Amino acid sequence: MRIEARDLVLRYGEVTALDRLTFELEGGKIYGLLGRNGSGKTSLMSVLSAFRKQSAGSVLLDGAPVWENPAVTSAVSLIRDAGESVDLGTAADALYFAEWLRPTWDAAYAKELMELFGLQPKANVKAMSKGQRSAMGVVVGLASRAPLTMFDESYLGMDAPSRHAFYDALLADYMAHPRTIILSTHLIEEVSPMFEEVVVIDRGRLIVHEETERLLARGHAVTGAAAAVDGFVTGLTVLGEKVLGPTKSAMVYGELDAAHRRKAAEAGLTLGPIAMQELFIHLTGGPK
Amino acid sequence: MRFPTRLLAANLWVAFFAWAAYLVLVIVITLAIHFFGNLTQSAWEQAGQLPRWVVLFVGVAMVRQFLPLFIANGQTRRQFGFQAAITTALYTPFVALLMSAGYLVERVLYTIIDRPQSLERAHLYTDPTQVPLVFLEHTVEFMAWITAGMFMGAGFYRWQAGGLLTIPVGVGLVVLGLSAVGARFGVPMSGFSLGFRIPAGPVLTLVMGLGTFALGLLLTWSVIRDTPLRNGG
Repeated sequence: MRIEARDLVLRYGEVTALDRLTFELEGGKIYGLLGRNGSGKTSLMSVLSAFRKQSAGSVLLDGAPVWENPAVTSAVSLIRDAGESVDLGTAADALYFAEWLRPTWDAAYAKELMELFGLQPKANVKAMSKGQRSAMGVVVGLASRAPLTMFDESYLGMDAPSRHAFYDALLADYMAHPRTIILSTHLIEEVSPMFEEVVVIDRGRLIVHEETERLLARGHAVTGAAAAVDGFVTGLTVLGEKVLGPTKSAMVYGELDAAHRRKAAEAGLTLGPIAMQELFIHLTGGPK
Repeated sequence: MRFPTRLLAANLWVAFFAWAAYLVLVIVITLAIHFFGNLTQSAWEQAGQLPRWVVLFVGVAMVRQFLPLFIANGQTRRQFGFQAAITTALYTPFVALLMSAGYLVERVLYTIIDRPQSLERAHLYTDPTQVPLVFLEHTVEFMAWITAGMFMGAGFYRWQAGGLLTIPVGVGLVVLGLSAVGARFGVPMSGFSLGFRIPAGPVLTLVMGLGTFALGLLLTWSVIRDTPLRNGG
């Protein structure tokens, strides 16, 4: 599902959550939506799913406006930590309504996911642990098979084994039923291997929208003798440094051309990738 | 627009079992009064207050619980509004039917224990076995109570504490419904008649009741038509 946002603005009273945000996602991929707390991630996904109406600007999904457009909203699923898609009596009750409301609902898959996460159909959702409620959201989000499926930190309450079961299930289902998936997360290192493209927003504005590999190619770990590393990184943007005895590793941001690579080789330095999280911290202005 | 099969079924199912349990409880209390006190009037009539409040909170839950659920499952506010309107329009006569049936069950009980099933208050009906009038009165009342609940539920969902301002309007809807049946009940503020002088008559009662219901739905729609889903809970 193609997503086009043009000069998107969302205000909560005096607070501007989205500030003339413009971007396009061609769809059919897994996107990572990254941003610091209060950057506007939840606001953006709320507008994309018609949970909220934008204050100004436009958002089109496959060329059609989303607000109060049943042809579009029926193709969108946003699962949030707030739990509005599952907070209704028992787990079976939540599935009962999701099955009826979702045209693309897969009941057999929902049952399979319930078993995968060890969820009991007769359990009261509000009485579940945070991890189980998160897993319920994952079940509804995946089994909805909506052409645009978004998870807004909704799996953070799950323990590590359950989160990895979710990642495996998501990838397997995405391969079997390709669609547009947006994952918003603070667990960047854990989730980023799934991203095909990354969108970074900060203070309601777009910072970066790029393919994951190209974005990662902008960051390099330069490792070697401390003096050689210091000489090499002079004039480059250094994100951070680590020293272990005579060896030093510096993280630099920016494209390294052939001359730089040759210089590194001549100095006996090793060039390697750096973590997405380091790039994210740099792109959003460093520690605050 | 689809017929709200599951929303209606879920609410009717709960209503039926709640009514059955409540009926058993009222029968037990009735027998206790009969054996240990002096049973002189219909207990089911006295028990009729609680179902009104239950219907009001069904209206609250309709917005507070189902609006977010429907939107989160890809429905528009307009689709939800339509389905909620159909559901409440059918739910209220169903509960009114259960209340009418309660009177009939009570009649059988009173006949067995040889007690008079007399009514304490004025109603559209003078005898509990006048089922069409019993049904009409309860339907009209419940329609007012459920839309009052929906409107206030919408107000509190959208504006949280600001929803307090919707309470007078909700009370007004209930009073309007009570005025429609042209009687006074033991409901707070129900003695206030809004100045209507309604001659007794089922047709006018029905028209007034439907008017109150439509007004309540319109008021609710005016709140939910562009209400955002809350970010938390």
